[in-house]
Amino acid sequence: MRSIDIHAHIAPLAASHLPEGQTWHGFTRREMNGRQFLVQGEKRQWLHPAYSLTADERIAYMDSVNVDVHVLTTWVGMYNYDLPGDVGAGIARECNDYVAELTRSHPDRFAGMATLPMQDVNAAVAELERAVNELGLKGAQIADHVNNKTLDHEDFIPFWSAAEQLGALIFFHQEGDDTIVKPRDTKGWAIDNSIGNLSDRVVTFGTLVFGGVLDRFPDLKVCLAHGGGFTCFGAGRLDRGWQVRSEARELGANIPSTYLNKVYYDCLTHSEAVLRYMIDSVGIDRIFLGSDYPYDMGIDEPTGWVNSLESLTQDEKEAILWKNLERVLGV
Amino acid sequence: MRSIDIHAHLTPQCFIRAMRDGREWHGVKPGEMGIGPRNSWTPEQRIDDMNSLGVDVHVVSTFSFYYYYERDPQIILPMHRECNDEVYQMTVDYPDRFKGMAIIPMQNVNLAIEELDRCVNRMGFVGAMIDDHVNGKTYDDPEFMPLWKAAEEMGAVMLVHQQGGRTLVRDRNPNYHLHNTIGNLVDRAVTFASFVFGGVMDACPNLRVCLCHGGGYTCFGAGRMDRGWQVRPEARVNISNPPSSYLNKFYYDCLTHSEPALRMLIDTVGIDKVIFGTDWPADMAIDWPVSWVLGLESLTLEEKEAILYKNLENLLGI
Repeated sequence: MRSIDIHAHIAPLAASHLPEGQTWHGFTRREMNGRQFLVQGEKRQWLHPAYSLTADERIAYMDSVNVDVHVLTTWVGMYNYDLPGDVGAGIARECNDYVAELTRSHPDRFAGMATLPMQDVNAAVAELERAVNELGLKGAQIADHVNNKTLDHEDFIPFWSAAEQLGALIFFHQEGDDTIVKPRDTKGWAIDNSIGNLSDRVVTFGTLVFGGVLDRFPDLKVCLAHGGGFTCFGAGRLDRGWQVRSEARELGANIPSTYLNKVYYDCLTHSEAVLRYMIDSVGIDRIFLGSDYPYDMGIDEPTGWVNSLESLTQDEKEAILWKNLERVLGV
Repeated sequence: MRSIDIHAHLTPQCFIRAMRDGREWHGVKPGEMGIGPRNSWTPEQRIDDMNSLGVDVHVVSTFSFYYYYERDPQIILPMHRECNDEVYQMTVDYPDRFKGMAIIPMQNVNLAIEELDRCVNRMGFVGAMIDDHVNGKTYDDPEFMPLWKAAEEMGAVMLVHQQGGRTLVRDRNPNYHLHNTIGNLVDRAVTFASFVFGGVMDACPNLRVCLCHGGGYTCFGAGRMDRGWQVRPEARVNISNPPSSYLNKFYYDCLTHSEPALRMLIDTVGIDKVIFGTDWPADMAIDWPVSWVLGLESLTLEEKEAILYKNLENLLGI
């Protein structure tokens, strides 16, 4: 059986192999506590050791866990929305050229998603057009907010318009530990990640729906990482809010839960019961394999895990493992 | 069938009278806080409404707007006492219809313990309603341990409920009512995590904590919390068992606005941990709560009885 993973990160070689003493878009490389970081001012971007793997070494890993295709997204250290737009655009171009090169050299094993300088919407649109039309990438990965502006902000209308027109899949993924839970994660129990990622994703769903983005761009393809977070479980309360509060109905035309099957989700739930709930809420045609390679919060054996789930039918497993992504991305 | 509602609020008449008279009330100035029509109902009007809904007992909690943890506790303690005294009078006047849930000044733990003790041991209250945090401090903070110990000893229920609108979602996006529709549920999961990862539930194994709004996203997010516990040493500093093993140490109200969410809650935390809670008289409440529970096709009659009254009878001894 085929398998295509929508949630697999990578870093451009120029960043992961940056020689000591040289700079890359203002970053230098530094070792701290046995870990490699890209450093710029106060910013510390951890370079996962897996990012030093060659393409062949990565493919050997993929073979070992029975994953045929990684849809490559750069790791979120490449967002850099806080840096000037021209710096972000330079980083994005280099990331996208690198990912495109891998998809050309190994077309059966890699597909690619773009990195975009979202702090400059015009530049982001231009880079998305280049990435999709010239480089053959399938879409882009973006954060749940851009310098605390959520994506329903009117500034992003040109972006959504371009994404819809290009047929690009927009994959939402938080930037590191920068989630809404962070202010209360004072002791470092990783809840900025374990609860925070899931919270940020439902806020993104909420802003796209209540902000009218999904109404205005009905053919938009959006995928919410980490199983869409708490989205499907919390839909009942979103509906209630829509019913009783006029401010929730100003822009979104329909009951929030009716949008659950307008977006896509990966299967990264770490819970069979949650994945089953999700399938029953959003529809089996909406869920992709997503492992979060190479991170510790990912699924260790993604295909093995999906295949082992007793509450899923064989058809459902195939839909998640490859059929849905084959259909949506044409890979 | 009997029904006991753990999640039913009060706008105190003492506050309403002061506002109508144009008097300042414990530092709250007239006009500072709006009063909705249903919120100003008298106990008798409230009972009429309970009768129309088929609700037998309200465990009455003063609205979260009156927490005022950010203000001077010497001003807020008398405010909370006046609120609690009014709730107490309701339980005296209508002992079959009302039970008391205290409001306590969490910004000063000693005063909070004193007021909880007064309410529970002298006035027969069942516990206290508290916010998800106290001025940004979460409940794993050692400062709160004496309160948990005291509550455990008293058998008091700690009912966790955010202060309207001030949830973690607000800073990301203040629009569309998301601070409530998503924010309440985020805050509750974070509170679960604070109690669990912080070791409070291990230190106080008999502490009774009830998480409002069905515990928010808690049960749905337990899988990822477990993963975090497995792979991150910092998540294991205080606890030697996975977070999901603590799900059945808490209580949850049934306020999910979703039958599948309630079904999942029951299947995850156990039917003996889910109790009837409506959020009366808020607009985000369940409109016809008893009918809603009774009408759920995926619940057995025993499960409906457990939720509507049996679990709360056992928990509160009422």
